[in-house]
Amino acid sequence: MAASIVVDRLSLQYSPEASRALAGISLNIPSGTCCAILGPTGAGKTTVLHAIAGVLGKHHPESISDGTITVAGHTYTPLPKTILFPSVALGLQDSYVQISGVRETVYDEVLFTLENLGESLEEGKSRIPPLLKELGIDHLANRRPTTLSGGETQRVALATILVARPEILLLDEPATALDLTAKERLQHILKSLRQRTTAVLTDTHVDLALSVADQIVVLHQGMILFNGTPKEFLGQMDRFTTVLPLKGWSRALQFMLPSSRQMSPSQLGLAERLGLL
Amino acid sequence: MLKTIRRRIAEEMTGAALPFVAFCIALNLTVGQITALLKIPLYLDSIGTVLVAVLVGPWSAIICGSFANLFASAFGSPTMMFFIPVVVVIGAFTGYLARRAWFRKWYLVVAGGILQGVLAAIVSAPISAYLFSGVMMAGTDFLVLYFRSMGNTLLNSVFYQGLASDPVDKLVTYLLVFFLTRSLPRRLISRLRGAANIQQSQSPA
Amino acid sequence: MRLDPSAKLAFVLLMWTCAFLLDWSVNLVLLLLLILARYLVPAYRPQSSRSRKSFDKFLAYGITIVVLLAGVNALFLQGGSVVFSVGGLDFHQEGLMFGVRTAARLLLLSVSILLFFASTPLPEFIHFLQLKGLPPQLVLVLLLTLHFLDQLPARIHQVFVAQEARGAPVRAGVVSRAQALFSVISPLVLSSIIESIDRGTALEVRGFLHKPVLASVPLPTERSASTLTLVFLALAICVLAFTVLRWLLAL
Repeated sequence: MAASIVVDRLSLQYSPEASRALAGISLNIPSGTCCAILGPTGAGKTTVLHAIAGVLGKHHPESISDGTITVAGHTYTPLPKTILFPSVALGLQDSYVQISGVRETVYDEVLFTLENLGESLEEGKSRIPPLLKELGIDHLANRRPTTLSGGETQRVALATILVARPEILLLDEPATALDLTAKERLQHILKSLRQRTTAVLTDTHVDLALSVADQIVVLHQGMILFNGTPKEFLGQMDRFTTVLPLKGWSRALQFMLPSSRQMSPSQLGLAERLGLL
Repeated sequence: MLKTIRRRIAEEMTGAALPFVAFCIALNLTVGQITALLKIPLYLDSIGTVLVAVLVGPWSAIICGSFANLFASAFGSPTMMFFIPVVVVIGAFTGYLARRAWFRKWYLVVAGGILQGVLAAIVSAPISAYLFSGVMMAGTDFLVLYFRSMGNTLLNSVFYQGLASDPVDKLVTYLLVFFLTRSLPRRLISRLRGAANIQQSQSPA
Repeated sequence: MRLDPSAKLAFVLLMWTCAFLLDWSVNLVLLLLLILARYLVPAYRPQSSRSRKSFDKFLAYGITIVVLLAGVNALFLQGGSVVFSVGGLDFHQEGLMFGVRTAARLLLLSVSILLFFASTPLPEFIHFLQLKGLPPQLVLVLLLTLHFLDQLPARIHQVFVAQEARGAPVRAGVVSRAQALFSVISPLVLSSIIESIDRGTALEVRGFLHKPVLASVPLPTERSASTLTLVFLALAICVLAFTVLRWLLAL
């Protein structure tokens, strides 16, 4: 069951001497929706995810913060001080690191999460195979996790956190180092997770966000520059060319519009989604 | 007492410390590859233990050294298991020095390294002498034999052989760890419990 | 048939007791039996080619070294009568007996442990320790060590090549090479700390230590294994008792 996230005027410094990482940001992410936080490196995207997941509060007790975070109905002032797993699942930037490395097979690697939660083997047998199938990695169940490709590792890493059935899914730059096919698969997976979980993902590129997000937030130097729908974002895209790699996007969209009859189904879907047709 | 030890270990072995200790165990076992590539005639096989003692704590260092010796036994050096008391002493002593801020000044590091080497030689001598009669199936056995042929007892011969190598080895290890830890970004090592033991030369990241 | 690790460990303890308390001739016989067990007893066959090579290599190296040392001891420790002479070099009884006694004990101690590890894959041993109550943090450390041991040699090579490419004096004089040691180890340690922090976070966000970890894979054992454990332990106690009795009678 998905849950909502409300961030109210959150400010953060990692330490008294450090510069401000977040400057009074506010977000309202309704349950069952997908929010994409875009921004350049160092904008504070990972900080937002770690703050929501409780990682920041736990591991940086010396940090100075203000504001509130409300996650799944619980309000924390300012930050959660414990990891909020399994209600909140966090996918790290590096999928290889997310794989524990202590299990011999993909199946056992996913089971490791359930073991940590005190779930039984039988529970694992009922949850894991359908999940692996949904993610398109059921054929990898007996493979060693360290022998997989980037896209396969990414999906295994996703399985290790989705198996806990989180209400909120936070993904830190999930599309990094993925090829086009793997990215399309990821889009499909994120779309299928709608209603079951609230997703927040970060990215430095816009293509994934435009394909799956209901809400787009642009973050720069700890401040929100934009918060709105993908259509609204497209309308104001030119404002963000200095902070996001948007060169060619406007032109590509203009190119697409007059020749909709020549578009592929996925391009049509995207254009429809963005209200361009 | 056991509960106190378990509590101390749990305090040190937080999330980030666990993989770091595992890395340091592996480093102890593979540093020989680096010294072989650079053709340096030193073991440095306790560098991981010393790193953990400084950056995490003494109990984690004892675990690091003990597990490294266990793995070494499994990988073809079976006698290493018997020298676990030596690594216990290395981990505990280094952790003690680190807590007393000895890893903040280079001259204290030098003194600590030499002391550590002498201590290691003292602790390993009886193990080597009484369990293995000074025979470790290594080139240093001939040095022991040489000291014995000069009329020394077995225990003294093994001790002198240890004194010939351990202080230099531990001194270099300590200095390496000193310079390494000084150059690490504070924001990174703040996640490890022993961050207060060292003084960074850089400003925090 | 596969033996429970506890039975094998009890057997190692028995061998160690014999190594320290029994005569060198008995130790040599036991050593021969252990070497035969490696080839003939299924429970003691090495589980991988790596462990097989490691065992065989140690055996060849170990036997060569102890024979050499027995000989050198016989030359240097000039006590007792001359056992034999070769080319003007006298081999003395005291040194030879010292060498043979030491060799028998050392090899029995070493081969018994090596046989245990060669026939018990490390993941199985770690899982056994977990079942016996080793805390989950330490189990994780052991398993992660295996993971790093797989990766480190390649990473060390990469760092070495990278440092050499940027001009580090990895092939200069000994002082320069000692300085290069820092430039090789430093990036390794720094990257490992970064990775450790991320791995630690990854474990926590997957609920590690959230609740007690369940053992998911039962070990393959025979019902008689626990009986064997008791038998080996009983034998070790008998050897100890026999030695104490012999010592008392000698007084």
